[in-house]
Amino acid sequence: MTRRVAVTGIGIVAPGGIGARAFWDLLSSGRTATRGITLFDPVGLRSRIAAECDFDPAAYGLDAEQVERADRYIQFALVAGDEAVRDSGLDLAAENSWRVGVSLGSAVGGTTRLEHDYVLVSHGGQRWDVDHERADTQLHRAFSPSTLASAMAERFGAQGPVQTVSTGCTSGLDAVGYAFHTVEEGRADICIAGASDSPISPITMACFDAIKATSPNNDDPAHASRPFDNNRDGFVMGEGGAVLVLEELEHARARGAHVYCELSGYATYGNAYHMTGLTSEGLEMARAIEVALDHSRLDPTAIDYVNAHGSGTRQNDRHETAAVKRALGQHAYDTPMSSIKSMVGHSLGAIGAIEVVACVLALAEQAVPPTANYEIPDPECDLDYVPRVARERRLNSVLSVGSGFGGFQSAVILTRSRE
Amino acid sequence: MSPITVEELAGLMKQAAGVSVAPQDLQQQYDSGFDALGIDSLGLLGIVGELENRHGTSMPPDAERCKTPRQFLDLVNSTLMAGA
Amino acid sequence: MSAAHERRAAITGIGVVAPNGTSTDTFWKATQEGLSALDRITREGCEHLPLKVAGEVRDFEPAAVIEERFLVQTDRFTHYAMAAADLALDDARLGKADSETAPYSIGVVTAAGSGGGEFGQRELQRLWGKGSRFVGPYQSIAWFYAASTGQISIRRGFKGPCSVVAADEAGGLDALAHAARAVKRGTDAIVAGSTEAPLAPYSMVCQLGYEELSTVAEPDRAYRPFTDAACGFVPAEGGAMVVVEADDAARARGAEVRGFVAGHAATFTGASRWAESREGLAQAVRAALDDAGCAPEEVDVVFADALGVPEADRAEALAIADVLGAHGRRVPVTAPKTGTGRGYCAAPVLDTAAAVLAMEHGLIPPTPNVHDTVHDLDLVTGRARPAELRTALVLSRGLMGSNSALVLRHAATDRA
Repeated sequence: MTRRVAVTGIGIVAPGGIGARAFWDLLSSGRTATRGITLFDPVGLRSRIAAECDFDPAAYGLDAEQVERADRYIQFALVAGDEAVRDSGLDLAAENSWRVGVSLGSAVGGTTRLEHDYVLVSHGGQRWDVDHERADTQLHRAFSPSTLASAMAERFGAQGPVQTVSTGCTSGLDAVGYAFHTVEEGRADICIAGASDSPISPITMACFDAIKATSPNNDDPAHASRPFDNNRDGFVMGEGGAVLVLEELEHARARGAHVYCELSGYATYGNAYHMTGLTSEGLEMARAIEVALDHSRLDPTAIDYVNAHGSGTRQNDRHETAAVKRALGQHAYDTPMSSIKSMVGHSLGAIGAIEVVACVLALAEQAVPPTANYEIPDPECDLDYVPRVARERRLNSVLSVGSGFGGFQSAVILTRSRE
Repeated sequence: MSPITVEELAGLMKQAAGVSVAPQDLQQQYDSGFDALGIDSLGLLGIVGELENRHGTSMPPDAERCKTPRQFLDLVNSTLMAGA
Repeated sequence: MSAAHERRAAITGIGVVAPNGTSTDTFWKATQEGLSALDRITREGCEHLPLKVAGEVRDFEPAAVIEERFLVQTDRFTHYAMAAADLALDDARLGKADSETAPYSIGVVTAAGSGGGEFGQRELQRLWGKGSRFVGPYQSIAWFYAASTGQISIRRGFKGPCSVVAADEAGGLDALAHAARAVKRGTDAIVAGSTEAPLAPYSMVCQLGYEELSTVAEPDRAYRPFTDAACGFVPAEGGAMVVVEADDAARARGAEVRGFVAGHAATFTGASRWAESREGLAQAVRAALDDAGCAPEEVDVVFADALGVPEADRAEALAIADVLGAHGRRVPVTAPKTGTGRGYCAAPVLDTAAAVLAMEHGLIPPTPNVHDTVHDLDLVTGRARPAELRTALVLSRGLMGSNSALVLRHAATDRA
């Protein structure tokens, strides 16, 4: 008998507000959290805007040692993890720790810290033969990508399968998907799943500058992230972390837990096309949606809302629109599809998990978040993108999709009631 | 300022995109698509970036959207001449 | 679903690019002869660092095997990955025709622990030394952990499930298990494994913080696990990719089954908590044997994690005894990685390649540079030992606290 997987807790650190309540307030109001970069001096960059988190780790329960040891992206994850576990009502100390896993995603991991320390040991980029005597002895924690999942597992005493997933901008969806498989297939009963990234750094901003993927609309940051709008000019960098507690459904029911919804389907495919490019047909994303539907045992017409990747690049918006139409058929035209990146930016590996949390909240609130800044339709993108204003709607099953550098195309389906 | 030659473009194609085409062959494929030559969008961005750094000047946004070597050299050289 | 669950995950191809051999044949020859490839580090910019010995891949010319347009946009770790994937696919006789007719039937899974560090350092130097305009367009796709999976998928036209486990050492086995599970869920084949390139100057500086790192400067003394001279581990680059394929799909196309990925489990016991890793490793082994439907006595050889830190070595020896009981003192244990170094996620994938080859050849490769052991283990040292091998157990632990165990079965094992 197939095990079913429930979402019993959520936690989030996102631009515009920390915690699920503040996050939903932002999304449902259609406000944007994009602004000029304050985390470093972006002078000389083409794109000098981002969606930043106003985040004081001490205010959210991290002690001085944890703040010292953990990079910003790990701090996001730990704070979101605390909220999610608290929300789930689980007493993890009473659980069999070998049956508790962790699956967290990050696209760029410790690179912000690596860059910071690189500048010191290279004398400002002057030396290839870097000076190890200036190096911090904790630098290996930024170098190793598994520090993220490891830190989370240590915080909650998890001793089951502990994984960090790094599939570029689908890392968050895939980390949730791997966790789903882990619980569904019986390798754990509980999995702390999610993703985190803090990529607002000179090197990451510069590398997206180099390929002109980010918006240069520095004069109007609040309106710079414009998914599906004909005047879009690239994505706006974001940061943040989101965590979900996934739990085997019977395990959740046995303890009388509040079940937000079930994670019912997941699939991922490669486009085998280009590391950064997307086709205008969207075949591979459509395939991921179809297989995730199949996994959920749902018809395309059961999808009530699509949480789009919606990064705000022309090629993405067309690719994704084509993929959703291909997978959902005529039903795509009757299904609202919005991009919360219009409000919280694109936090690379984190955003997939942030979007899954947005879907959980949409199901709980029976409302669809809007696409902020959407004003002028692109003739090639002709779906209902929920312009600027959130919408009440009866939602039972929702789909979240993502595309990542490397060609990754992923889809996750959440269902409120399968009875 | 002297214009970018076919030789320089061939050198840039190799350096920035890993595509080796002899200058005389490139001359003959002047109107072939960059994609047919094996230059993708990132490769062309790399070529444009390298030219901008070498000449200390910005290229127009259309440079990275040029489809053929002829289009590209025409645009880049008119930009360089205008700035010279 | 039920039919898919019956599928077995076979290994049908092996591709190795390692310090002791840049083809599967040369790797196996050096491995079974117990030759050590550990040597003084020769990479530019590393001369002054206190880390002196590593396993460098020297006999490898990327331009001879990878198209230049792929080389300019990728780091060394991806060069190794593309080359190893080619070797594995050739070995499996899985070609373009297979992916063209059914592109979604083949996927790619890699584990990555060090990313494109050399490429990244070069671009950081451009950014901080010259300015942001000097950062090239490939930095966005070369440094990150997903580069190898993405490039293999694109270069070979594989549209199946594509994944990346960014991990400590144990992630190499997790990636193989991830591939086996994708096969059991219905994908015909996954090219899976790991290659690493952690020997750029800044990457090496980052690793200096690992207390477990050996800074002994003599290549034959730097990495000697299970001995009273254990002084830490030596890092390495390179790695291996294998083709994990549904046995029915392999048989349908007449491919040779080299072995089976029969069971896997992973646990976590905390970064550098080596005493605790005893229980973590034992739990992983128990669950992996259970997953494989394999009794402890059936294990014919153990490929040890062999960290080379006394406390960790003791924990591993005890974990083997905890799970295998009296059989644990008789079962041959080997650690060929003392001849190649620990290539982070790649290390247990190389061990998996060696284990499949060992089962094929009926020969347990020895543990180079190790001549005796202070633990209660039957450690294979000196020369290779002939043995009939039907089941191999591969162990791995990571510096960030993961433990992983993989059970491999010989191709000739009965379906029962």
